[in-house]
Amino acid sequence: MIVVKNLSKSFDLSKKQQKEFGTKEKTVLAVDDVSFECQPGRVHALLGANGAGKTTTLRMLSTIFKPSKGTITINGIDVTKSPGEARSQIGFLTGSAGLYARLTPNELIDYFGKLYGVSKHLIDKRKNELFDLLDMHAFKDKRIGKLSTGMKQKVSICRTMIHDPQVVIFDEPTSGLDVITAENIIHLIQNCKNEGKTVIFSSHIMGEVDLLCDDITIIHKGKVLFNDTMEAFRNQMLAPNLTAEFIRIVQQETIN
Amino acid sequence: MIFTIFLKELIDTLRDRRTVLTMIIIPTFVLPVILSISSKISHNFEQEAAEKKLKIGLVGTPNELTNALENTPSSLGAKTIQYYSDSSKLITDLRNDSIQLGFYIPSNVSELKEKMMPIEVTVFHNGTDLGMQERADIYIDHIHNQWQKERFKQLKINESTIQPIVKNYSNIASDQEMIGKMIGGFLPYLFISFAFMGCMFPAIDLFTGERERGTIETLLTVPVPRWKILFGKMGVIVFSGLMASTFSFIGIFLSIEVFDFVENPDILAAIHAILTPAFIGMLYLLLFPLIVFFAGMMIVITVRAKTFKEAQSLLSPLNIVVLLPAMAGLFPGFELNGFTAMIPIVNIVLATKDLMAGTLEWQLVALAFGIMILLAVSAVFLSYKKFESESTLIA
Repeated sequence: MIVVKNLSKSFDLSKKQQKEFGTKEKTVLAVDDVSFECQPGRVHALLGANGAGKTTTLRMLSTIFKPSKGTITINGIDVTKSPGEARSQIGFLTGSAGLYARLTPNELIDYFGKLYGVSKHLIDKRKNELFDLLDMHAFKDKRIGKLSTGMKQKVSICRTMIHDPQVVIFDEPTSGLDVITAENIIHLIQNCKNEGKTVIFSSHIMGEVDLLCDDITIIHKGKVLFNDTMEAFRNQMLAPNLTAEFIRIVQQETIN
Repeated sequence: MIFTIFLKELIDTLRDRRTVLTMIIIPTFVLPVILSISSKISHNFEQEAAEKKLKIGLVGTPNELTNALENTPSSLGAKTIQYYSDSSKLITDLRNDSIQLGFYIPSNVSELKEKMMPIEVTVFHNGTDLGMQERADIYIDHIHNQWQKERFKQLKINESTIQPIVKNYSNIASDQEMIGKMIGGFLPYLFISFAFMGCMFPAIDLFTGERERGTIETLLTVPVPRWKILFGKMGVIVFSGLMASTFSFIGIFLSIEVFDFVENPDILAAIHAILTPAFIGMLYLLLFPLIVFFAGMMIVITVRAKTFKEAQSLLSPLNIVVLLPAMAGLFPGFELNGFTAMIPIVNIVLATKDLMAGTLEWQLVALAFGIMILLAVSAVFLSYKKFESESTLIA
C-alpha cells in the first residue's frame, strides 16, 4: 500500500534555467501538496499532461528524489526515513529507461537480483520463471545492444520483477512501443494486480487507463485535480469519453 | 555490494572497444612500435649523416691546405672534392644540394703557414642539413692539430708547457643516477598520460553514459546506498587508470627487451638494475593517489555532462592541464624540493625521477605523498557530493 500525504517538491533554478523558463523565480514548485492512496490488488492511474508533475511524483515514490514537504509510506515504510528498505519493496519500470547494451539479459538480471539482495538460488529460480513467462530463453545470452525493442522491453520487465516487488511503478511504460510489445506490459500489469501487488500506472493512453485502472489521480501544474475511483470518475463525466473528460477537467482548471 | 557493482562495471567497461584501445592496445602494442620506429629512424639518420659520402666544394686553386683536406683519412668520412673559381657558383650548388659543404681557402696558404700566421678558412654549409657543420669541424680540426704539432716542433716548444691546466673529469654518479636524472622524467610522463587516458573513457561511460542511456534512473531505485554505487564505479575508473599505466610499463618493457629500443649494454644493465619489484611497488604507491584524484575530478565533470560529446569536450582541456606539469621531469635541473613536493603531479613526476636515480629523500616523498592523498580525498568527497545531488538526474 502506498500513502502519499501533502507531498510537495521544489527545484532550485540556475540562471540558465530561469532564462529558459522565462522566470525570475529562483525555485520552481513541481509538485504542490499532493495526496492519494494506492491499495494492494488495485491499479492506480496517475494522469497529467506533460510537465504536470507525474514523473517527479513517481521519482519521489521510488526515492530518487527527496520530497521537499509531506510524507510517503510504502507498506508502512517512510521512504524519507528508510529509503533503502522502501526501495526493496518497489519495482520501477519506465518507458525511457535504458539497459546496459554490453551485458546479456542473463548478466543484467543477475546483477539487479544481487543489488536487490536476492539470494543466488532465488535469482536463478525467479529468472527461469520470468524467462519462461516472457519467452526469453532464445536470446538470454545475446548482448542487449543487439536485441529488438520488444526483446529489450521484456528484459526491462524481467529486471523490474526479479525481486518480486510488492509495489510496482509504471511510468509511461508503453510509450514508443509497438502493439505486441505494449501488450506484454498490459499483461504484466494485470498479473501484478491479480497477485495482489500495489500498482501505480502513469500513461497518456486513455484506452490503457480505461482497461487497467481501478483508481485515478489527475495532476495538473503539480496539484491534484481529481482523486477517486475509476467508477466515480466515469459517473461524474460530462464529456463523452475518458480522453475528452480528461481534457475538459484540465482546461477547466486552466481557465479558473 | 561495492564489489558487485565494481565487477559489473568492469565487465561492461572491458567490452567497450574505446576503453580496450586506450587501456590495453595503444600502451602495450602501439607504444613499443612507435618507440622502436622513432629510435630506429633517429639512429639511421645519425648513421647516414656520419657515413654519407660528401661532395665538398673548394674555392681557389690547389694548395697545401686543399691537398691536406683531400688527404684526410677516410675514417673521418668519405668525400669527393670539386674546385670552384668563385664562391657564388659554390653557394648555388650548395643550395641545390649538388655539394654538401664548401670551403673558401685563401690563395696564400703556404706563405701564411711559413710565417706561422693564422689561416682563415670560411666554411659554407646549409644549416638545415644536419651534421654538416660537424663534418667540416672534423676535417679542419684534424689538419689544425697536425699543423699545430708541426709549429710546436719548429718553435721547439714542449706542448705540455703551454697547457698550465689539464682537466680530468671523474663522474662519481652511478649509471643508475645518470639514467634516472637524464631520462627518468620520461617514464612518469608516460605513466601519467596513459593513466589519465585510461580513466577518461570509463569515467564518461559510467557516469555521462548512464545518464545518456537512461540507466541511471533504474540504478538509483535499487536498495543500495549511493556512496556504494559511486565507489563501485570509481573503483573501475581507478582500476582502468592503473591498468593503462601497467600496460604502458609492459609496452616500455617490450620496447627494451623485444624491439631493442636501448642498444647500449651498460645502459641496459642499469635499467635492469632499476626495475626491481621494490621500485615498481613504490611507483604504484605514488601513482595510486594521483589516479584516485583523476577519477574523482572526472566524476565531478562527467556526472554533470549531458552527452558523451559534452563530457569529452570538458575533459580534453583537463588533459593539457595534467600533461603540462607531467612534463616537468623532462627538464634537466628541475628537482624535488620543499616547494616542488607541494605541486600536484609535478611532485609525483620528480619523486619518480629521484626514485629511478636512487636519490630519494624520504621526507620530501612523504610530503608529496601526503599532498596527493589530501587531494585524492578531496576529489572523492567532491564527487560524492555531486553524485548525491539530485541534479545528477535533472537535465
